[in-house]
Formats: sequence, structure tokens, C-alpha cells
Amino acid sequence: MDGAYRPGPFGRGLAWATALYLVLPILIVVPVALTDQRYLSLPEDGLSLRHFETVLASPEWLGSIWQSFTIAVAATMLSVTAGTLCAIGCWRISRRATEFVRVLMLLPLIIPSIVYAIGLYRYFGPLGLLDRFLGVVLAHGVTGIPYVVITVSTALAAFDPRLEQAARGMGASLSQTLRWVILPRIAPGIFSGAIFAFIHSWDELVMVLFIASRDVFTLPRRIWDGINENLDPAMAAVAVLLILFTLLLLMADRALRRRSEG
Amino acid sequence: MSDTKGHALALRGLSKRYGDFVAVNDVSLEVGKGEFLTLLGPSGSGKTTILMAIAGFVAPSDGAILLDGRDITPLPPEKRDFGMVFQGYALFPHMTVAENVAFPLRVRGMSKADRDAKVRGALDLVQLAAFADRLPKQLSGGQQQRVALARALVFDPALLLLDEPLSALDKKLRAELQEELKALHQRVGRTFVNVTHDQEEALSLSDRIAILNHGRLVQAGAPGELYERPRTRFVADFLGKSNFLEGTVRGAAPGGFALEAGAARLAVRLPDGAAPLAEGSRSLLSLRPEKIALLAEGDAAENVAEGRILAFAYLGAGFSLRVATEHLGEIRATLPAWKSPIAPTEGLPVRLGWSADAAAPVEEDAA
Repeated sequence: MDGAYRPGPFGRGLAWATALYLVLPILIVVPVALTDQRYLSLPEDGLSLRHFETVLASPEWLGSIWQSFTIAVAATMLSVTAGTLCAIGCWRISRRATEFVRVLMLLPLIIPSIVYAIGLYRYFGPLGLLDRFLGVVLAHGVTGIPYVVITVSTALAAFDPRLEQAARGMGASLSQTLRWVILPRIAPGIFSGAIFAFIHSWDELVMVLFIASRDVFTLPRRIWDGINENLDPAMAAVAVLLILFTLLLLMADRALRRRSEG
Repeated sequence: MSDTKGHALALRGLSKRYGDFVAVNDVSLEVGKGEFLTLLGPSGSGKTTILMAIAGFVAPSDGAILLDGRDITPLPPEKRDFGMVFQGYALFPHMTVAENVAFPLRVRGMSKADRDAKVRGALDLVQLAAFADRLPKQLSGGQQQRVALARALVFDPALLLLDEPLSALDKKLRAELQEELKALHQRVGRTFVNVTHDQEEALSLSDRIAILNHGRLVQAGAPGELYERPRTRFVADFLGKSNFLEGTVRGAAPGGFALEAGAARLAVRLPDGAAPLAEGSRSLLSLRPEKIALLAEGDAAENVAEGRILAFAYLGAGFSLRVATEHLGEIRATLPAWKSPIAPTEGLPVRLGWSADAAAPVEEDAA
């Protein structure tokens, strides 16, 4: 950029160091996943895809992947529905009280998830939700709400309130206005929120450790157990698959945003 | 059904308060069937609040809104059946032109075939049939404005409300669309209520104008009536330009009086039926700059003021002069520029003249 300040050697070095610090732990997983050894290590004699084969042939790993996926899908639906309705409600009513509601909705982001996990463990027991699909979906769905509230509120802030007035002035009921005017306009925000809520559930471990044991065995949980029990490089292969999947979701999010801006 | 397409609207003692702030103060106004009424006023005069109250988006603190004598004050906007053109048009950006125009029909559950026919008719009305499949952002400002009009009229609304419909357009386009809007009003024969701060737009479009200031209705009437017989100083000043001459009423009679302003005595003739002014009372005259003529040597006029040109501006169609007069202070006059009897220069002595019926007495506005 012309006219911009040029970074000095110190600033440039710091920037690169920060970038590497962020990316290196992710990148180190890739060679480990491709190791030809039988334990968690860097490749010695050559690259090998055997650990990917192990993962994709193992019913345990595949079962956990499928379980994580269905939980994430169900939790995302819950987060998106509740978060979108909450954001629209706060936006429409727009009083001081709704600011409070919005802050309340962000609590799951602010409060450490271990605190949540303890609370859920305490309450899910009597309700018979421990180690149940529904229990994990509820836990992930509720803690995924903030992502949706944030992205949908941002989309609504850019929504021209006169469009709603115009729709009502032409005789549209609230539900017609919602379906035909508001939702189509904030759809990119909803999709963004859905992607973040999905990722949140997809790699959530702390709560799962508390509220699930044998029947519900999500992917992060299996990785965690794998690390504790044996240092199988299959975990690195899973990690690589996870990274690829997450990257794919984020790229989808970016593409959607670009389309809605264009 | 009634034989006329338009509906009559009445505002009865309408007020709107926001805490201590009075946005609209006891406004009563009648809008006749098929009439084009403009609410005109500076920003903060309450004109938009009144329109929003008519549309149902603002609940009045006091007073009632009647459509054909029926009280509609408690009805929400979606139950009022009024078409509205918003400032900036508020077209739905994710719908095509045809989908935008079809929207009010879609919410009424009209069948696709009926909808298509109506939409085509409405787009023909505003000459945009060729643009049916475009998105609003692919249209110019003037075209968007016409889409907004088609959308507001397609469902045969009882009333069309326009919130500064031309303010986003450049001057030339605005003049074109003013003509179109006026022609459209005549074609559809419906009642239009328009809001603007642009006095030229109000004068050229409206059957009647209601002038608002500080939330109050100052004067309502036909454009010519308001321009020629402004009731108060504010109306005279806001609608067009005006000189104000202050003095004492002398020789009051039913047909007119003389205004004694310092050493000057000005003859004033009142229109037929005007109430005579009290002898000896203070009076304020509004004198339009274009009603003042430049007198050549030896010319006579009922009122004459001598002075020197302080400043002048050439406006193409005319000259605008500021003249410092001996007895009446500074007076503004506009003269046709072509075949002007003088070439204005600063300090040039001139004689201004106007007839006795040129000036109109106005009241001072209540503070």
C-alpha cells in the first residue's frame, strides 16, 4: 500500500513469530500423521498413509466420527433456532432489557466450560441425560447459542429497518415479514453462526468428559483417550482430518460472506 | 363500493409527545377524496411524524385519524391498506422488480396468475415493464423510485403516502419525476399524502399544502392561496422568498390601508372579503421580490422606494438585487435578466416600485 508506514525489522519479526506460533502446532501434526513408525513420532524412513488407513478402517474411530457429526448437526439446529429467534427478538424490541438478554446469551462464551460441565453433570443425572445423545446435544446446542446470536445480531444491525416497515405497511403479518423479508436478508449471518456452532460442538471435549462415558463417545473424546492410553499416530491422522474439515467449513463461511457482500 | 376511487382522510387534534418533546401539537386537517396533499415544513416540524402516524407506525399521544369518517387510530399498519413510498424507497434488495411489486399481492394470498397480471399492469403504469427481472441495485435512482411507486399502488390502496419521495434524486431528475408523479396522481385518481421540505416540489405537485412548524399546523390551502396570501411571516418566508415591512396602520378602510413605516407611507390594497385592520395597530407586510419593478426615469407606481444597489447576483433567468432604501431598510428584488433596463453595479441608485395589491399583511408567528 502506498503511503502506509513500513514495518521495521522488529515489527516484521514479531509478526512472523506470532504467525508461526499460531500455525506451527497445527502444521506439526501433518508430518506426524504421515509417519511410518508405530508410535507418535516424526517420519524416519519415509512417508506413509497407514495411519489414515487405520482410522478409516476402524469401527471405533468411524463410529466416533459419525456420532460427533450427528451430535454437531443436531446441536447446530438447536443453536441456530434459539440464537436466531433471540437475536431477532432483541432487535425488534430493542430496549435496555434486551441488551441484558443479549449479554446473558453470551454467558456460555464468558463462563469457563468446566463450570458449565460441573453444573450440567449435577442436573443431567436426575434427568437421565448422562451419557445420552440428547444430553450432549442439549449441552452443545445451548453453549453454541452465543455464536449464532453474535453473527445474527451483526447481520441485523446492517438490516434496513424500513424494509420491515415497508413489508408491514403493505399488509404483511409478522410471520410473513419474517419469512420473506427478514430471514432472506440475514441468511448469511445465520449460516455463519451455524458454522461456528457446528465447529464448537464438533471439537468440544470438556463437557463431554463430564456428561458422557461409554455410549456417547465423540471424536474429541476418543482422541483424548488415545493420548492417555497409547500414543497411536492414528490420532494425528484424525487431527489432520479434523483440520481439513474445519478449514472446509471456514472456507464455506468466507464464500457465503463474499457472496452476500457482492 | 363508492363511485370515486379516492378516500377521505381526517386528522382530529393529532398530537405526539416524546417525553417533554412535543413532535406534533394538536394538528387537525382534512384531506379530500382524490386530493394530493403535501405536508411541508423544515426538518423537525413534525411532518414525518404525522405521516408515520397516518401509516400506523407511530401511535398518537392524542387525537384521532379517520378514514371516510371511520376511526382507524388503533389499527396496526398492516391492517390499514395504505400504500407507502419510503424515503430511499425501501425496495427489497433480494427480490427482483417484479417480486417487489408482487409482494403486497403475495401477502394477500392472491393466485400467481392474478398477481402476474396486476404486476404487469403496475409496471406498465410506471413504464418499467422491461425491467421486471432486474434486481433493485441494477436500476438507477429514478427507476427505483418508480418501482417503489408501482409497489405502493399495485394493491389498490385506500391512500398513497409518500415520505420525501424525490429527495434522493438529483435536481434535473427530480423535476422530471415531479411531472410524472403529478400525471400518475391524475391517472390513478387516488388520495395522495406527500411529505417534503422542498417548497418547489410542494408548489408544483399539490392540490393543497399544509405548512407545519414546530409541530403545529401553520396554514393549509391551495398552493396559490398560500403563496399569495400567507397567513404568517413563517409561511411567507418558507414558501418562496419575501421582504418584510413593518409599520403602523393608518387610514384603515375595508378595501385597504396605508402603512406608516418611518417617513414612508405605503399604500396597501386588500383582496375582496379580507377583514380590515384596526387603525393605529402594528402591521407586518410581506412583499415578494418578484413583484417589485425597477422604475425608469419618469415612471410612476403606487409605491416607490429609492435606494442604492448593495449587492446583486445573476441567476440566468433574472437578477437578484439587494437594495438599501432610504426609509424601508434593505429590500430584495428580482428582475427578469433579459432586456433588463439597467446593468446592475454596486452603489447604483435605483427606484423600486410596486402596486398597492403586491404586499400582503401577515401575522408574526407565535413563539
